[in-house]
Amino acid sequence: MSLAMTAETQRVNEEPIGFKPDSSLIVVGHGSTINPDSSTPTFAHADTIRQKGLFADVLCAFWKEEPSLREVLRMVETEEVYVVPHFISEGYFTQKVIPREMELAGAITRSDSKVIKYCEPVGNHPQMTDLLLQRAGRTAPNIAPDQTSLLIVGHGTGLNENSAVAVKTQVKEIRARQIYAEVGAAYMEQEPLISNWPSLTHCPSVVVVPFFISDGLHSYEDIPVLLGIHAKSTGAASQREIFRRNPYILNGRTLYYASAIGTDPMMAEIILEMVHQFDRNHRASAVGN
Amino acid sequence: MIRDRLERILANGSLNLGEINARRITDTLFVVRHREDAEPGKVSTLRIYTGPAAARDLARFDRKGQYRPLKGAPTLPTGWELRLDSIDSLRLAIDSFYPGALASWLAGEEGGVNPVDLRTTLNRQTGMYRVTQKLSNAQANELAGRFCRSDGGCLRTILWTIEGKRPDGNLPETKFLTSHDQLGKYEPAIPFLCLEACNLFVAEARKSVKQSST
Repeated sequence: MSLAMTAETQRVNEEPIGFKPDSSLIVVGHGSTINPDSSTPTFAHADTIRQKGLFADVLCAFWKEEPSLREVLRMVETEEVYVVPHFISEGYFTQKVIPREMELAGAITRSDSKVIKYCEPVGNHPQMTDLLLQRAGRTAPNIAPDQTSLLIVGHGTGLNENSAVAVKTQVKEIRARQIYAEVGAAYMEQEPLISNWPSLTHCPSVVVVPFFISDGLHSYEDIPVLLGIHAKSTGAASQREIFRRNPYILNGRTLYYASAIGTDPMMAEIILEMVHQFDRNHRASAVGN
Repeated sequence: MIRDRLERILANGSLNLGEINARRITDTLFVVRHREDAEPGKVSTLRIYTGPAAARDLARFDRKGQYRPLKGAPTLPTGWELRLDSIDSLRLAIDSFYPGALASWLAGEEGGVNPVDLRTTLNRQTGMYRVTQKLSNAQANELAGRFCRSDGGCLRTILWTIEGKRPDGNLPETKFLTSHDQLGKYEPAIPFLCLEACNLFVAEARKSVKQSST
């Protein structure tokens, strides 16, 4: 999908999503067996959408928590159900794990009693670029962007070459806006590694924004350790402190570290947008056929 | 419909599921408590919560403040009462305490559940869990006995199999009986079904395999 903000996308963004009383929505998150806060943003966005009363039912499902991807479809009582991955990248989880566990055959799966519509992950939405820039601006409000390096950090994995695409796409979009002097991608588990940030960036100030759904082990601890702003395992109580101690002065550079993007309240609207986009794309393809 | 079924059950009394008890007080007041606190006279000693979102918070940590990723674990804290203003809110709350339990139970009653053999579950794993395909039957049985036992592990009733056989692991016969109250109180309770080894089981299976290969 092109992430260009086309006139069509802008028009659709302005339209509210329709009332779907005969459909359910499942928001799929990763979840965690270790971090109790991992699923909080997914549940919060689902609550927000449920309160709008647009769907017959709004459910969450997780890879690492309950309800699992295996059992959630049994909880759905409508024939039609939309599944929106609350994931940043179109990679291992959205292309392999979720379809396998939910037994999806593609964008539309028809079983005996259900029509399952598998939407694109929220990370594909054009508004992600605005969210990242907003987060960067709020984290480092008093610096001149034209003298600052911005790093967008993704997980990266050898399991699926697409995992890094979302980060690369955002970097390209942000560069095109010519706000920051320098914009780059970095990863936890693939090159270029975030631990090499001093050589990856060249400006006196550096803003690091994790392109993650929720704050958890990766954003509280793993990335801060790789950045050199945090020692390993100093205890759960101080987790959010890592975002309050900005800026960090390291090797004569000023480093600002942002919290994960997926917690932004705007995300609920983007989840709905993915449903809207699914309908638009599939209506268009039906007409085209 | 799950909602209608809940309404019918509560019209005739209260409902037990896992460690919770739910009761209809009026059409606009439903109450959930830990079954240890179910006697009506206990209310003065209980902390009162309202709304389905509170159920998620109550179910998230055990009485020692430890995270409960496995919702079937018999570690739900006591000492609270959750008040809900509609049957829909009650359903949401029950789904937070025991995700998917009501749906599996109803599907089971209608003959619509297909328990999945452990080998099928493990054989489809990829990435870091692919190694679980090496779990031996002996390891699988030992793990089921340790991880799934109702006294300290999980309150679900196991319906899945290991190569067509019930998991052994010194589990009692009652662990496989849907009519048995896994809390051991011998009270009527909604069957709390386990149709397939969960991801936490698979994660433990990975540990078992890794340990045996070192």
